Amino acid sequence: MINRFFKQIREGFSDLLIVWYDEFRNVLSDAAVLLLFFVAPLFYPIVYGLIYNQEVAKEAKLVVVDDCNSPESREFRRLCDASRDIQVVAICADMEEAKELLRQKEAFGIMRFPKDFSKNIAHKEKATIQLYSDMSSLLYYKCFLLTATEVSLEMNKDIQIARMSNATNREAEVETTPLAYEEVAMYNTQSGFDSFLLPAFLMLLIQQTLVIGICVLAGSTYDQKKFHRMMPIFRHKRGTFRIVFGKTLCYVMIYLIMSFYLLWIVPMIFSLPQIGNPIEIVGFILPYIIACTFFGMTLSILIKEKETAYVALVFLSIIFLFISGISWPGSAIPDFWRYVSYLLPSTFGVQGFVKINTMGASIPDISFEYRGLLIQIVIYFITACLIYRHRINKECV
Amino acid sequence: MIMIREWRLLTSRKLYISVMIGAPILCIVFFLTLMQDGLPNEMPVAVVDMDMSNISRRLTRQLDAFKQTEVVTKCTSFSEARKLMQEGKVYGIYYIPEGLEHDILSFRQPKVSFYTNNSYIVAGSLLFRDMKTLSVLGSAYVGKEMRTAKGQTEEQAMAELQPIAIESHSIGNPWVNYAIYLCNVILPGLLCVIIIITTVYALGSEVKQKRSRNLLRIAKDDMFTVIVGKLLPHTLIYLLMITLIEVTLYGYMQFPCKNGLCSMLVVSYLFVLACESLAVFFYSLIPIMRISLSISAFFCMLSFSISGFTFPVSEMHPIIQTWATVFPLRHFFLLYVDNALNGISFCYSWTSYLALTLFLFLPILSSKRLHTVYKYDVYDI
Repeated sequence: MINRFFKQIREGFSDLLIVWYDEFRNVLSDAAVLLLFFVAPLFYPIVYGLIYNQEVAKEAKLVVVDDCNSPESREFRRLCDASRDIQVVAICADMEEAKELLRQKEAFGIMRFPKDFSKNIAHKEKATIQLYSDMSSLLYYKCFLLTATEVSLEMNKDIQIARMSNATNREAEVETTPLAYEEVAMYNTQSGFDSFLLPAFLMLLIQQTLVIGICVLAGSTYDQKKFHRMMPIFRHKRGTFRIVFGKTLCYVMIYLIMSFYLLWIVPMIFSLPQIGNPIEIVGFILPYIIACTFFGMTLSILIKEKETAYVALVFLSIIFLFISGISWPGSAIPDFWRYVSYLLPSTFGVQGFVKINTMGASIPDISFEYRGLLIQIVIYFITACLIYRHRINKECV
Repeated sequence: MIMIREWRLLTSRKLYISVMIGAPILCIVFFLTLMQDGLPNEMPVAVVDMDMSNISRRLTRQLDAFKQTEVVTKCTSFSEARKLMQEGKVYGIYYIPEGLEHDILSFRQPKVSFYTNNSYIVAGSLLFRDMKTLSVLGSAYVGKEMRTAKGQTEEQAMAELQPIAIESHSIGNPWVNYAIYLCNVILPGLLCVIIIITTVYALGSEVKQKRSRNLLRIAKDDMFTVIVGKLLPHTLIYLLMITLIEVTLYGYMQFPCKNGLCSMLVVSYLFVLACESLAVFFYSLIPIMRISLSISAFFCMLSFSISGFTFPVSEMHPIIQTWATVFPLRHFFLLYVDNALNGISFCYSWTSYLALTLFLFLPILSSKRLHTVYKYDVYDI
């Protein structure tokens, strides 16, 4: 009895290794899978890093229409020009000229000082500056609005202080701003695009290449009727676990190495915020890769032909990115889509990784994401086994 | 002949129907329901109120009243709030120090602090705006109280407090609506992904199923007939889908379109044709279907970032700036900005029209190669 049990285990392991070895060969012999598993993860992040390299928009181009041309308006535009975010590229005589520059994409915003600008200030009436921004880029708009507001606050304070001739500096300061404030941007201190998008993107890349790769591999065996290559396993009629585990072992090994590059070296190259504990990251990545693998195996039932995987899955990447709650805040995702998002490993993977790596959370802090991944592993493992069982049975008949 | 054959192929497979018609509809529904409010509303913020005074409670209430902000918890210590932030339960913290009211009344200029989580940039920057406004207003509010107490009218007080005001006009998108900003480019972009991948797939399938010689025979060995005949049914469906997208966005959703719906339709039809031509080119370049599918998938995904609608192209690496011109979505985006947002005339954007038209010549360049591929139907290596 015991002997039989041990024999079974030994057999199981040797079969597992056969499947594992076989899968490795499959991966290495398929050019498309090589592209997905190795080339894409190697080069794609670099290209993305180059795209968002600047992190933030700087020196957004602005034209000024100064109908007032007073010391105040000149001071205002000089302060804007001196800021990091705005560059005054031209001073136009009228709005028409300024609009023309906007149309030619020589500038992305117009700042207009009305004729009575300095008069109003002198008369203690409200003076208004008009700011027009081209909305093709929200980043430029933000540059203009934030800087202009900042400069106006600064000048407002000076004007008020100048009006109070009889106060000491400190008194004036307190009177103009009775309540001071301080702003702190956490985790992504310069509000950079790279630091914000790249971690989510890298995690999504792992899931998408892995899932499409698995579907392509599954499709190949389907296409070429290569299931017979697993014949030694069919002899025992109990092959499902061995096949699933053997293949999983192969994918996990490859992706652990790739994720070391993706999640450790790439962030280092682009000096993204990286304050996570490496051991905790590994502890989080491992279930993520396993969940992705089982998820991919489950999806592979839909794939009758290896090329179909691309047709069905590529466009979904963008939806997966939005649904993961990074670019569009999770609290604003409608309930229906939030429940849909719980079906995807990427939702938990992206959130968990950003929290550990960018925000320095530890695994207990992200127990929600962690549990989500574990539940996914169990469910997708069962479905993957059922599917393989079904296929093996069909093949045996 | 070829058209009828292709039409039968398309309707006989569930895959084609679901991807060419189902997927674009899914995308429309997804993005419009996701961004139905235009901006993410009621984002969670924690307030750390160490003062518990009249003024601090009023600040909290006002913060909660902003549309984008919802005060979900009041914490008693900063570390508690920071933990909530780390768990992702709040995107921002507003810290009110102890003795705030007392310090204000005795002119000691107390300081409030606010923290935003910028690993979620959209949430972070919107909350930043609200909390900053609150702090500036809070200061002005106190100032106003002091001035009205001295007998000034409210208007006088405000003019004195804020001698210079900024009046912001955001051209074409006056509500700074994110749905307008994103959907108008993402939806056509997703259609571009679907078009390129499906077209490469359809072209490759001919070789894979060993039907390509048959196809050449029907077309009497004329490559032009093959390409046009094969892709015409696809084109009709895609044109229908892009019309659906544009009509939904500018008709049903009433997103601003200054040059009129027709101009956007012209642009998007040109865009659809450009995408198809590019797909033909990709497949002819690398006739091994899996590999050309991989390459086109990478290309398509890249086009979202490189088209510059989230991060301006002019800020990218110079090499990337040059390469951006080979992406149809980039030109579509530029034309969309000119036509829908800014409503300016043809003469400012003719280069992008020209670029999109140039894409249409790609199949002619590559037809000879495609002919060879179809003739010797080699599928795998």
